[in-house]
Amino acid sequence: MREAFHDQLDGIFADLSEICGQVEVAVREATKALMTGDVHTADQVISGDKAIDAARERVDDMAFALLSLQQPVAGDLRMIVSALRMVSELERMGDLSVHVAKIARLRVPAVAVPDELRPTMERMAATAEDMVRRVRDIIVDRDVEAAIELGRDDEVMDQLRRRSFTELLSTDWAHGVEAAVDIALLGRYYERIADHAVTVANRVVFVVTGEQPVRP
Amino acid sequence: MAKSIEISDLDIYYGDFLAVQGVNMSIKARSVTAFIGPSGCGKSTVLRSLNRMHEVIPGARVEGKIAIAGQSLYDSAVDPVSVRRMIGMVFQRPNPFPTMSIYENVLAGNRLNSKKMKKSEADDIVERSLKGANLWNEVKDRLTKPGMGLSGGQQQRLCIARAIAVEPQVLLMDEPCSALDPISTSAIEDLIHELKSDYTIVIVTHNMQQAARVSDETGFFNLKAAGQPGHLVEFNSTQKMFANPDNEATEAYISGRFG
Repeated sequence: MREAFHDQLDGIFADLSEICGQVEVAVREATKALMTGDVHTADQVISGDKAIDAARERVDDMAFALLSLQQPVAGDLRMIVSALRMVSELERMGDLSVHVAKIARLRVPAVAVPDELRPTMERMAATAEDMVRRVRDIIVDRDVEAAIELGRDDEVMDQLRRRSFTELLSTDWAHGVEAAVDIALLGRYYERIADHAVTVANRVVFVVTGEQPVRP
Repeated sequence: MAKSIEISDLDIYYGDFLAVQGVNMSIKARSVTAFIGPSGCGKSTVLRSLNRMHEVIPGARVEGKIAIAGQSLYDSAVDPVSVRRMIGMVFQRPNPFPTMSIYENVLAGNRLNSKKMKKSEADDIVERSLKGANLWNEVKDRLTKPGMGLSGGQQQRLCIARAIAVEPQVLLMDEPCSALDPISTSAIEDLIHELKSDYTIVIVTHNMQQAARVSDETGFFNLKAAGQPGHLVEFNSTQKMFANPDNEATEAYISGRFG
């Protein structure tokens, strides 16, 4: 009986890593749509979010069932409560990818990112994608070290965000208000994806150690 | 009224057999302390040593120190009967005296202690104790009826009323709800919660959720191996025990994973 319960608990974490994989694809494809102005890819990201939402509901239901039927305590309890919170972070990361795809679709056939902003925006996208990929490994391996490192590396994203603002606010900005708003929003979306990734990683630390990681 | 208990280097024997070894803990006054652990790990034995009930068994003895508010329980000058008067006990199965009325059951301890009581004084004790045990409203109109006529949960509350009638310092409970249905269990748990403002309570329970619900601190006892003495594995705040215990064996036990 207890073994079945622990299989189900592990199953929840397997689902989380799978959702994380779906989010990784969403971030990558949304970025591709953004940088190429590819409406088809953007549409795929937008419609693909339904699968992430459905997976989130499955995790919610399973966690609720285990809480009500198994009265978990200690490490088991930390796992379920954390899973409930992690799954909403992941789902939110999927939503943010959809936001990126929507900006891409809105500007088709043009591309929302002006050429001189491309390097910064590409780096932000790559950083976000990399963090999502790493957080998936962190979930699978319950790797506390890697989780803490991810929190530190979030600083890279914050620097990129600041740089994009500097570029945006420079006096020789020539792309108008619309593009400026796009860039500000895109920067915000990628930065938030990274923040959510850090939160998910921190929850893994809590699952393993029972302590919240100290903020640097 | 309530007093704290200090246990140091406690070893408990049944004849030559060392049943419990090296227990150290301090039990706070006006709080509920739960003992959990598998059968045979010595938690009831430790509980019974707290009011010198252990030595009632032939050959049974205790080494180490148990002090209540600084007073050692096992000093040669200490009368075991006076210890038991100070430290009340409630057992697994409700055990009202079968031939006595509800009224006389409550007063049984007081009658043993003092020969004469005024009727008004006795009435006061009965009412106060039954109210303290949350039983007064249910039985006030049939105090002269036999205690055995009550339901199991009511009988257990009657036993608690009997225990608190002599105003003890400490209340020991050995699986007080294991023979009761969930409604009676809930009534007893509410009562434990109320009683802790006046008493130091130590409860042995096999029901982990019950330990989590009612206690402030929890001690986990276990056997090192079959045939080995029981020992205290972890003693911590209940919150800590059930959220993030220090010891892996505790975690395995409370999560239902053994070994």
